[in-house]
Amino acid sequence: MKTRRHFLQSSTSLIALPALESLGFRRFASAATPAAPPKRLVFLGFGWGITTETWFPDIKQTGKDYTLPEGLKPLARHKADFTVVQGLWNKYSNEGHWGSTMWLTGANRFAEPGQTFHNSISADQVAAAKLGMETRFASLQLNGSENAEASGHGPGLSMAWDVSGKPIGGHKGPVEAFHRLFSKDTTPIEQQKAMLAQKRSVLDTVMENAKAMQRGLGKNDRAKLDEYFQGIRDIETRLAKDEQWIGVLQPKSPIPQPQEGLAGKEEIKIMYDIIVAAMQTDSTRVLTYRQPVSTLMTSIGIKVAPHDMSHYHSTMGEKYAASQQRDLVQSELLAGLLDKLKATKEADGSRLFDHVALAYGSNIRTEHNLDNCPTLLTGGGAGIKLGHNIVAPKDTPLCNTWLTLLHGIGVNVERHGDSSDVLKALIA
Amino acid sequence: MPKNKGSETHSMPMHNRHLNVLLLWALIGNLQAAEPVMNAKHRALLKEHCVSCHGPEKQKGKFRVDDLQLTITNVETAEKWQKVLNAMNSGDMPPEDEKQPASAAKADFLDDLANVMVAARRTLGDQKGVITMRRLNRREYKNTLRELLGVEINVAELPPDGGSGAFDTVGSNLFMSANQIEQYQALGREALEEAFAWQTAASVTKKLHYEGETTTPKVKDFVKYQINARERAQKWVKAVDDAAAKPENKEIVAKIQEEVKNNVSRLRREWARIPGAPNPRTFGFDKKGENDADLANDSLGAGWLKYHEYYAQMPDVDRGAYLGTQTRHPAELNVNYIELLVPFDWPVGDYVVRVRAAVVKDAPAERRFLDFGIHARTGKVLNTYEITGTIEQPQTIEIPLTLTRANLSRDNRSLFFREKGSWDTNEEGGRKRAEAVKRNGIGPELALWVDWIEVERVPNAAKPVPPGFTALKLPLDDKLPAPAAAELRAAFERFATEAFRGTTPPPDYVDRLMSLYDVRRKAGDKPVAALKETLSVVLASPMFLYLAEPSPDEKRRALTSAELATRLSYFLWSAPPDAELRKSDLSKPEVLAAQTNRLLDDPRSEGFLTAFVHQWLGLDRIDFFEVNRALYPRFDSGTKVAAKGEIHETIAHIMRHNSSLRDLLKADYVVINRVLAHYYGIEGVKGAGYEKVSLPKDSPRGGLLGMAAIHFMGGNGERTSPVERGAWVLRKLLHDPPPPAPANVPAITRLAGKVLTTHERLLAHQEDPQCASCHRKIDPIGFGLENFDAAGQWRTEDSYTAIDATGKPDPKSKKAWPIEASAALFQGPAFKDYFALRDIIASKSNAFAHSFSEALIEFALGRPIGFRDEPLIADMLKQSSKKDLAIREFIHALVSSKEFHTK
Repeated sequence: MKTRRHFLQSSTSLIALPALESLGFRRFASAATPAAPPKRLVFLGFGWGITTETWFPDIKQTGKDYTLPEGLKPLARHKADFTVVQGLWNKYSNEGHWGSTMWLTGANRFAEPGQTFHNSISADQVAAAKLGMETRFASLQLNGSENAEASGHGPGLSMAWDVSGKPIGGHKGPVEAFHRLFSKDTTPIEQQKAMLAQKRSVLDTVMENAKAMQRGLGKNDRAKLDEYFQGIRDIETRLAKDEQWIGVLQPKSPIPQPQEGLAGKEEIKIMYDIIVAAMQTDSTRVLTYRQPVSTLMTSIGIKVAPHDMSHYHSTMGEKYAASQQRDLVQSELLAGLLDKLKATKEADGSRLFDHVALAYGSNIRTEHNLDNCPTLLTGGGAGIKLGHNIVAPKDTPLCNTWLTLLHGIGVNVERHGDSSDVLKALIA
Repeated sequence: MPKNKGSETHSMPMHNRHLNVLLLWALIGNLQAAEPVMNAKHRALLKEHCVSCHGPEKQKGKFRVDDLQLTITNVETAEKWQKVLNAMNSGDMPPEDEKQPASAAKADFLDDLANVMVAARRTLGDQKGVITMRRLNRREYKNTLRELLGVEINVAELPPDGGSGAFDTVGSNLFMSANQIEQYQALGREALEEAFAWQTAASVTKKLHYEGETTTPKVKDFVKYQINARERAQKWVKAVDDAAAKPENKEIVAKIQEEVKNNVSRLRREWARIPGAPNPRTFGFDKKGENDADLANDSLGAGWLKYHEYYAQMPDVDRGAYLGTQTRHPAELNVNYIELLVPFDWPVGDYVVRVRAAVVKDAPAERRFLDFGIHARTGKVLNTYEITGTIEQPQTIEIPLTLTRANLSRDNRSLFFREKGSWDTNEEGGRKRAEAVKRNGIGPELALWVDWIEVERVPNAAKPVPPGFTALKLPLDDKLPAPAAAELRAAFERFATEAFRGTTPPPDYVDRLMSLYDVRRKAGDKPVAALKETLSVVLASPMFLYLAEPSPDEKRRALTSAELATRLSYFLWSAPPDAELRKSDLSKPEVLAAQTNRLLDDPRSEGFLTAFVHQWLGLDRIDFFEVNRALYPRFDSGTKVAAKGEIHETIAHIMRHNSSLRDLLKADYVVINRVLAHYYGIEGVKGAGYEKVSLPKDSPRGGLLGMAAIHFMGGNGERTSPVERGAWVLRKLLHDPPPPAPANVPAITRLAGKVLTTHERLLAHQEDPQCASCHRKIDPIGFGLENFDAAGQWRTEDSYTAIDATGKPDPKSKKAWPIEASAALFQGPAFKDYFALRDIIASKSNAFAHSFSEALIEFALGRPIGFRDEPLIADMLKQSSKKDLAIREFIHALVSSKEFHTK
């Protein structure tokens, strides 16, 4: 222990250390030849979709030689480094205002007889189960600081859903996310251990209470109380992880602490910086960000209400213009993120961009349309074709794309959601 | 309890149910497909248009329709029909080059199928009457802490409940996660801190008095300063101009001119580059490190000097403050509002704010309202008062206010008073100010006057000690010796029993609490800190968080008296039962009825009514968007708050007086305050709050359809949406909800940009059968409500202006038309105007009562309504019909039903 801590204190590397003693030691031993940088998976979701007419490339121009559509023009400098896939959908989705609830799950809301809401695990969590072992946070869920309904995201506490299809909480806005990642824990180690012991004894107490309560319950109610037990188990897992990380300093943040009260465009920009910083410091390898749309529009001076905007077909004019403006600013922000991913270097000198698989899109296309979900993929992490306009056969499961990304980053699950196959056209 | 006894004990209201159901159907007719059965007549359409490709011979896409079951009994069949619905809605099927079904037949088919799918989802999602155990939702959690500890805490951090369209009491949608468990403990800790702070500050009194005339010398000094600074600025400008005019400076001045594009103040900003031009600092302009020339330039304009002079010469500035518009940055000079910071060292507790105010003579009627709120810059208006006092005889308004630990920062402890709507936003305030300048050359006339303001903390020693503390009976500060172990153990047990609504905690659990306390003490906590920490764990324990009704053998059984008390109080208070309810014998019908009435009469029933009405009527839409202030200047923040209040206050009034539910469809009275009385132009409101006022015969007001907030929701803050309104009426009032907006219907784009009346635009819905199937029902109702504009005011004309290529409205394209509210309901009567439509809707009060009953059942039982609830609904309708749909009768019938008494 002493040796290890000694090493940790003298370490100047920004890379956080893996959790497990043995692993840490191994890594230390081979420090001279840095291991290959890890794979990362990022999902960026925006609730109300895009402008159908001007966001998608022409479906006749498939492959590399396509004209960049108006809505993606701000991404021109990265044209060779992202791919647009058309024709994807979640066939069970039927709620015109739920842009994110089933985006990463592909679940059938009505699959469970006797229930009016059902969801299943999201693609990011499938990845986190494997990629999350070695980092301080198995995954990180980020949310816009506004009400998610106003941005067309639908129910959920973030875009992530756990293995039993229950919503996972997220961090609201940049300040909260920053603190979670980088706030220093200056408590002495012995005290940290004592605090962990106290937390465990709190868990033991509520567990005692839950067990006593469970004894009287019928089957359905026991199933409901299982959520509480699962919650306790999750906290225990987290505490176990905390224990492994005791004494490992929080990484130094490569970016300054964000200001309070940022909203809309500025908020997204800073959140993108935090996403890069989280990967750069290897604090986590799996991220989702449920982006604000409503405040984004306000922040660029659009007065049309967001839901109204997505229904631009009825009047075009002002609503249509607002919708297009939203596309432009979103593309501009994404282009900024790609710049950063390319500029950030891994320990072996390669670009962070080359080890990231990033998907950007929504379950809603426009209005209440849930077919041809806007999907833009980028990053070299999953070994997919970049620079293409791919037109998949109409109504290809969106989950085929998620499955392709999962396989690409080394998570070889058999299927995901309603996937029927990987999307072969996407594999480089 | 012996097995099977439950059904005997509670068989009382079960008689004659079949008869009731028959009666019910006779009364309201078959309003919607209640059973998921597709009418056999639709086989014909499938046969003619689909079977050739999706039948016995060919199965394109591996899909056939000839063997589809008409009755949907399982998820697979539902999915197949959903596929048919999707394909036809999106226009994919039948394929373009095939023969298409006739429009009317297709519309009927889609209409029926969409409703059958809704019914199928309901049947397949039916919990068969089983009520899942549930945790407290966010509101109930907050109220439960309030009842236990006597404090209100902010629970906004907890994830919102629901969102999937159901009430926030529906247990199967209320989840639990690791994050939440931790949040519960953190919030419990916060509530305990707050509660301990209240208890220890119980007798503290504080008082602050602010005289309005405090503003006056500031204004007068500012006027003097502005005049003096302007003179100095003029001298400096002249000196700079003289230097610039010198022939030897010609070249440099020309260069600067080019850089600053001939802007004179920007030229002067570059004074240092012009030889001989003097430093503004020598004229007394010191901008503390920034460019001093900016201050000189600004002083030259002496912004709003005339307005400040106007203020300073007002007759009563020596005795009070006038509330005007915003002129300078508020930190420099503020004549717009008065803001008072409650001193940071004043404790949490109940406060009272008093303001003595007046209205100046001849102030116009719309400028006699005073907003009270917290933090003027973000402008959260809490309440609005009409001022009737005169400067000779001002009136004093008393406003109760509670400050908690959530009010610790400047942003939420600065109280403000401002004229209603004078500066809700910079844009709106600036617009009103500019209008006044155009009119009088100065700015908005001063209309309101404040003599003084007082803020006082009221000691809470007179309030009863909250039950959590009565149970605890332990020292609340560390000056007293720490309790002995036995005393502590007993205290934990009593506190947990109270927190668990009467359930005794298991001894092992209390042991754990004891050892937690010890761990904290050993870690260095003082006794009170260790106590709070331990109690916070009780508030995160499942017996506190869940409303459990144990039934280990899976048998349906009657609730115990304690369980029934809990169910009743969480229904009617969204809070735990009090001591009286817990000791009442609720198995006696007359006791149950009396307790139900007592609960409804108690102020805590607001916890039920506000939340229920909000969710039932879908009022969240009110806060989804802002009104366009340029189009509707009168619908300011204060009016919006009042309009939303009207819905709640009206229903609260009906509940208080046990009036008929019919009053919500049509009434000869309104329940409004003075703000709305002014907005609606209705006389007769006397006090400062909401009260019942009779309406003239020809008034469009009265009932939900006469309320501004309802019509505001039925638009987008700018234009009305007949579709939104029609769908709301069908959904909430007529018990004929249109199916949810279908996904993937091709949009109608060809009308975009055209100048059309609302009627003309919506006519397009009738062309496509995919649209017509729903819109033929929705749109006519919306047309009948077109006399209400997007802010709920009555109008007789509407207009539309197209947007030109540059995105600006093109005035030449403007088209105005008189409102035509006449239309005909789908397969129903025609109506000539709004009044006739309102009469038709009012005549369908049984449908409305049905919709209300369903909502009540779902809210009260915490599970979605199922087909097997029809007898209960019939009972509720029968009982309430005997008393002209008196609102409490629905509740009495529900709480005495078998469903309400059964686990």
